[in-house]
Amino acid sequence: MTNEQKQAVFEQYNAKTHRYGRIVSVVTLVLLLGAPFVIGRYLGALPDMAAFGRGFLAIGLIWMVSSVAEYLIYTPMLGAGGGYLAFITGNLINMKIPCAVNARDIVGAKAGTPENEIISTLSIATSALTTILVLAAGVALLIPLQPLLQAPALQPAFDNVVPALFGAMAYKYFRRNMDIAILPLLVMSLLFTLVPSLISSTSFMILPSGALAIFLAWWKFKKANAEAAS
Amino acid sequence: MSLIQQLNAPFLYLVCGAIILFIAAVSLFFLIRAYRAGKAIGMDTAKMKRAITASATFTLLPSVGILLGVIALSGSLGTPWPWLRLSVIGALHYETQVATAAAEAVGLNGLSASQMTAKAFSTICLLMSVCIMWGMVLSVIFNQRYLARLSSGGSGGKKSSLAGFGDLAMTAMFIGLICAYLGSYIGGFVSGGGLFSFGGSWIPLAVVAVACLAMAGFLWLYEKKNAVWVESFSIAGSMLIAMAAAVAFGAIG
Repeated sequence: MTNEQKQAVFEQYNAKTHRYGRIVSVVTLVLLLGAPFVIGRYLGALPDMAAFGRGFLAIGLIWMVSSVAEYLIYTPMLGAGGGYLAFITGNLINMKIPCAVNARDIVGAKAGTPENEIISTLSIATSALTTILVLAAGVALLIPLQPLLQAPALQPAFDNVVPALFGAMAYKYFRRNMDIAILPLLVMSLLFTLVPSLISSTSFMILPSGALAIFLAWWKFKKANAEAAS
Repeated sequence: MSLIQQLNAPFLYLVCGAIILFIAAVSLFFLIRAYRAGKAIGMDTAKMKRAITASATFTLLPSVGILLGVIALSGSLGTPWPWLRLSVIGALHYETQVATAAAEAVGLNGLSASQMTAKAFSTICLLMSVCIMWGMVLSVIFNQRYLARLSSGGSGGKKSSLAGFGDLAMTAMFIGLICAYLGSYIGGFVSGGGLFSFGGSWIPLAVVAVACLAMAGFLWLYEKKNAVWVESFSIAGSMLIAMAAAVAFGAIG
């Protein structure tokens, strides 16, 4: 198969991915928005729309802004298939993004290539299926598992899943990119130390931290290009 | 029948289970399509299988953490709804916050089983669904155009100057994400108990340090001892070691 033929196959795949992605996203939205009404009807109490409106104004708008930021930041990392799946299945920061980045790194796929698109979709689909299976098994075994999972001695382990994840990822990514990592880490540490109330908004702080890291990466990239040219 | 019994009724399991089954089918469909497309464009199937294995092992431990979220919410919302929320679209850090805020918005004093009514429950369910759906909505409307615009990367000289930067930019964005979280652990320790009091929890920082060391060990095995099998399990293994250390730290502090 020539490169042109491969590109044609991939472009056809990608166009269909967008079509399927849009269809399943819309179906999922209908199911998720319909479920509270179906359940409410079963319980004999449909949602209180006035209370819903008040609640949405109080908390919904904040999450709307957060969702827009997440969409803009993560879609380029995830690609088409991975993007649709990740936004349907959730748990982006604590699972899907690191999972896709790790898979991409293991196979050496470059951002923006067909390989990256395929690996990202494989990774996120596998991750979603694994979570669904673990949760289904956990829910089925909820009664026997509950004492073990809620044992006080084990709580520090489950409270620290995210530090364990980002600790491992930090070593892997920082060691080759210290020039990109050190300044955002210092700035973020200083910000969170001086304004500890920001800790509850860590997911919002990814934006300035990421922007600073990208700026440093751009500067490194330009410098390397200039050196290569001279 | 009490409300909590109603919230755990077989009908709710049926509704939530059916939606989860649909999402599982969608994930499987995307997985198979991507695998076939990868083969069609000549990708190495061994690499694709490694990506699948690594992603499955990577996800196992965080999934157990998410299961704890289901358990935590099941006391006030029953089991089926949190099971659905955390299997589909939801996020561990989001669900508890939004469920609590939604409960307050409908007039309860927080997420309390004793105060929960059927109307409050169905309203909370709707709020939880609407508040987090925007990523999906934006994907439906903008994904194709947004990705096309990113891949075009400008035109002419600008495009050629951007060539090769995309990969570094993605890595940098991810580094920025990690820095934000590590910074929050440092800030939490230094000022969590009052500005510069060093009275916050040191355990997340110690867990980060152990995970770094464990990862360094795994990478040493991979790079210096040619233990190729280690790479797929290095993140999951590092997390397991760091979480085990957290249990020991919890016993100390």
